[in-house]
Amino acid sequence: MGPRWKDNGSKATALADPMSNIVARLQSSLIQSGTCGFLSGCGVLLEISHDQVGLLNHACFGRPVTTADTDTNWFRLSLEEAFYMHHCLKCVEIIGEDKSPKRDDELWECMKLKKRTFLEFYKAYSHLRGKNWVVRSGSQYGVDFVAYRHHPALVHSEYAVIVSSEAEGHENCRLKLWSDFECTVRLSGSVAKTLLVLHIKSNENCTFSPSCLEGYTVEERTITRWSPEQRREDQPIVKAESSKG
Amino acid sequence: MMEVDAWENSSDGTVISEDDFQDRKDDEDPYSLGSIPKMQFRKDVSKACWDAEMGMAEIIEMKGRSDSICINACRYLAERGALLLLDVNHTPISLRAIYEMVGERSSGCCWESFEAYRHLKSLGYIVGRHGVPWSMKKEKGSCESTYPQGTQENNGVAQRDLEENVSLTGLLGNMQINEVKLAFDVYLPNSKFRKSSPGDPVLFHPPLNEELEDLERKCNGIPLKFCHIEHGRVSFFSFNKIALPILP
Repeated sequence: MGPRWKDNGSKATALADPMSNIVARLQSSLIQSGTCGFLSGCGVLLEISHDQVGLLNHACFGRPVTTADTDTNWFRLSLEEAFYMHHCLKCVEIIGEDKSPKRDDELWECMKLKKRTFLEFYKAYSHLRGKNWVVRSGSQYGVDFVAYRHHPALVHSEYAVIVSSEAEGHENCRLKLWSDFECTVRLSGSVAKTLLVLHIKSNENCTFSPSCLEGYTVEERTITRWSPEQRREDQPIVKAESSKG
Repeated sequence: MMEVDAWENSSDGTVISEDDFQDRKDDEDPYSLGSIPKMQFRKDVSKACWDAEMGMAEIIEMKGRSDSICINACRYLAERGALLLLDVNHTPISLRAIYEMVGERSSGCCWESFEAYRHLKSLGYIVGRHGVPWSMKKEKGSCESTYPQGTQENNGVAQRDLEENVSLTGLLGNMQINEVKLAFDVYLPNSKFRKSSPGDPVLFHPPLNEELEDLERKCNGIPLKFCHIEHGRVSFFSFNKIALPILP
């Protein structure tokens, strides 16, 4: 299943302004304004300027928080988005619930406490973002993330993403039984997405700091249904590299 | 650059895929006559003699074949009225007795692997035991079973899958659970025996990552499919490694 652009001009628009450029513009604006967010529950709140609302929306980070106050703009980032902007893009400082700015490793520990699967989810998130895919929550589809080739206004998401790992704390992975696979593949297919499982593994089991992330690898696998009815003799022989069943 | 408003709250529209053949097929009433594969009842009935020790049937009379066939092939042919299976005394073995044999460990196959075998055979595929070399002169319909990896839950799932009156409780409990094995090599019909999708493990649980890697190594680049059987419904899945492109 290739990219499904939403209308005729979308592909050209996307090519003319790649996501990497969009993210770079956001990064530079936030650095310039010294933007600070604060941890609140399982997310981070950002107070930003009107222009930055557009940049955040354009780069697909966070969700706007609608308030009656028209002078101030608020955005709420997920833990993965916030840590990515802090640790990777280095464009946001984050203040803890104790009102003090958090260093990398402190923030890391904080977030792992808030979410048991934070390490694996963050690794998956940053892996996809690092390849310039847009990553959003997949909860409405019963998956962990959905991945878009560019902004959702231009293109439908191609992948429904599940994060998998053998690490402790990841026992709640959504795909354990065959019924999980049947259900998730069916659901993903009905919304025209391929199911992508990102398997996070590490040989070292280090978790104490963000630098440990370098020891983790991400394996990408698609789960697709194979219909033997559609593989008769007049069909091309399936090549070994084919990713579609 | 697009206006600010255009970027806000873009929702990803849901689209029902109309090309999903599997979906259309699944929605068919499984009990309607039209959906049951038509059985061809042959006029010539072959004969084979069951060798309990070998777990295979020695062919006595069969057009174009003179080798041995496994319990799956015996069952497949017997259900179509195309085979008379005999015991050592040349007494006919009933279909019921064949069904009972399918559940026995000594037969080397299991109920679920037969479902996969039958599904593919009825679609015209050539299904052989994994790893057995093929010859242009013979057609082998042999098979190999895989064993479930046992957790309480998986055994429970397997038991619930049973429709027929065969209890596998004791059998599953006693099975040695070691490695997941490839069950079948599957060839397209008339494919001149080029391998298309071999490696159909019949698993009672979805593959773990290590199992996937191990099986892929054994397949040596040939596509691997996983088969899941539940309530007579046979599903095949591919778990393919990909490399997501780095976008601009």
